[in-house]
Amino acid sequence: MDQNIAVAESDVRHLRFSFSGRAVEYFGIWIVNLLLSIITLGIYTAWAKVRRLRYFYGNTWLDGHNFEYHARPVSILIGRVIVVALLVAYNLLVTISPFFGLLVIVYLLAFPWLLNKSMAFNARMTSYRNVRLNFGGTYFGALGVFVLMPLATLLSLGLLAPVASRLANNYIGRHLGYGTARFDTRAPLGALYANLGATIMFVMLVAVVCSGLGFLIGTGTASLGELAEGSEEALYEFISRGPIIGAIIGGYIALTLAYLFYAAGVRNVAYNHTTLDGTHRLSSEVGRFRYVWILVSNLFATLLTLGLLRPWAAVRTWRYLAASTGFVVVGSLDHFVDGAAPEGNVGAAEFFDIEGIDFGL
Amino acid sequence: MIKGRYFPPGSSRAVDASLRRTEQGLVLARDEEDAAPQSDPVLVSDPLGGVPRKLTFADGGVFEAPHDADIDLLLRRRGGFFARLARLEKSLAFAGAAAVAVIGLLFLIYRFGIPLLAAGAAAVTPPVIVAAMDRGTLETVDRTVLSPTALDEEAQARLHRIFAELVALAEPEGPQLRLLLREGGVIGANALALPGGTIIVTDDLVDLAESDDEIAGVMAHEIGHVRERHSLKQVYRVLGIGFMVGVIGGDAGQLVDDVVAQAAAFQTLIYARGFEADADRFSVGLMVAAGRDPTAFVDLLDRIAADSGDAGETGWLSTHPGTLDRRAAVLEAARGLGWEG
Repeated sequence: MDQNIAVAESDVRHLRFSFSGRAVEYFGIWIVNLLLSIITLGIYTAWAKVRRLRYFYGNTWLDGHNFEYHARPVSILIGRVIVVALLVAYNLLVTISPFFGLLVIVYLLAFPWLLNKSMAFNARMTSYRNVRLNFGGTYFGALGVFVLMPLATLLSLGLLAPVASRLANNYIGRHLGYGTARFDTRAPLGALYANLGATIMFVMLVAVVCSGLGFLIGTGTASLGELAEGSEEALYEFISRGPIIGAIIGGYIALTLAYLFYAAGVRNVAYNHTTLDGTHRLSSEVGRFRYVWILVSNLFATLLTLGLLRPWAAVRTWRYLAASTGFVVVGSLDHFVDGAAPEGNVGAAEFFDIEGIDFGL
Repeated sequence: MIKGRYFPPGSSRAVDASLRRTEQGLVLARDEEDAAPQSDPVLVSDPLGGVPRKLTFADGGVFEAPHDADIDLLLRRRGGFFARLARLEKSLAFAGAAAVAVIGLLFLIYRFGIPLLAAGAAAVTPPVIVAAMDRGTLETVDRTVLSPTALDEEAQARLHRIFAELVALAEPEGPQLRLLLREGGVIGANALALPGGTIIVTDDLVDLAESDDEIAGVMAHEIGHVRERHSLKQVYRVLGIGFMVGVIGGDAGQLVDDVVAQAAAFQTLIYARGFEADADRFSVGLMVAAGRDPTAFVDLLDRIAADSGDAGETGWLSTHPGTLDRRAAVLEAARGLGWEG
């Protein structure tokens, strides 16, 4: 018996996630999803979502086993119909009378519940080795972390962002489970502030480059257009305006990229301080510059090909994130058992999907 | 016989196993254990690229088969819709044809489908809702930007007379038209048309006008917006574009999402510009019918533009066409109606 434990403890394995999806293969799936979604006026999007996630989860491997996505398209469809109906009704009411804008308060109060139910649904629909993930949050926990903390971050002009990131990731990590085993995340504040510092340096670098470029492009187009017109007054007008607009657009781009840079850093810190069952440990080493570069080059590739390279871009991003993620395992992973857990709510999950809100990478 | 792995119910411990069909039904043979009969699975995952197939049994046990295993033969059933779809998806020629079809369909929907649906939806929107929208918007702008008019009684009466003259000539179908005069505040010299027939003209605009024809032309333009239901069409077109983006952008990446949202916002500007040109044409028709100068209001627009320091061109980000383009279009439309000014 003693001997067994000794063997188990020395049996530390550094496992890596990997992704076996291929861009060409996914292109076929993606384009068929798109075609059927258009022909059915959007109804097929529920099936398309399930097939897309089944493809990405199903091709993600760890220790010789793949992940799986289990949601039923019909329930996704029902969730989407409810969410779209509510959004349309809300917008209609606000057009009729601005008084209904007060419904935002109801939304803010419901937000923590929606978030917990959404997380629970998405976790419940994910399995690895025949054992499902699960999530059980608390209303007031989510209210503090996802409603009050973002407000405090805004008021502090972003200086509290690392605190918000720490609380959000710890909340998610602590309430996430794999079968009867629990995850635990304790993201250290120091590392998160270091990440914010790096992000500020990054913003300054990008802002200088982008506003410089914007200034040049703005000046260039303005002068060319106006010289042809030959009006001196207008020329002066545009020279003073074009570069400013260029610089503003540059600043906007810098902030968007900064968010990606920051999020990649937070992912690393959070994963590297997440354990399962107190013994196994997640790891993440996403290169922040590399990640921003992948998304930016994906954007240009996608736009320049009218979206046709989107499947390639999606596969490329997922593969990079999988390859940058590891799992340090003590012993084997075959002793986990499934347990009863909250089922979540598909409507809540679809609300976040449709609104494009997601948490972490 | 299919070789794969078996997970006992609710367990992450996989064992090598095989599944085969005999006369008596399925037989599952596990590593180190004797073969045992097995009832048919209750759930079989659809084929999808290189993803392994999972067969879930009633007790929660799962048999994992390679992606290319012939499950349908084993279960003596015919492959469903998704089995056929998975075969099609592997064909490059089919994917190419689907790509061409998608691009063609998207173009048709964007160019014709959405404007057509928006026009239809605008036509069937109940007048009650439109009237309620008017009340809501009026309440908001009255509270936030506008204040009561400072024009004297005589000027007000004259404006209402001009308006009544135009309304009498416009087709009677559609919402009841009414004119409201307001002090514009930050929006300055301006005129607005609400979908339910409320038309607001600001004091600054009246002050800037040098003739009745100028102000009448602007009123006729706003009547055009109401009669052709431009606000409603705009609302539905924006909804349609949003829905289309939602359908095609299911898995757009983070940055792509941002850019698509910007493009959709830009698209609403383009729609708005088209509506302005339509309202100009409507104004010309009504003004010619009223025996007034249909081009006069462009002079007024020029004066507004000069006040705000605009160069008169159609800017990239403007909802209204530049006055240079507008003047040419208005002149052409007026000449087309036999107007000689």
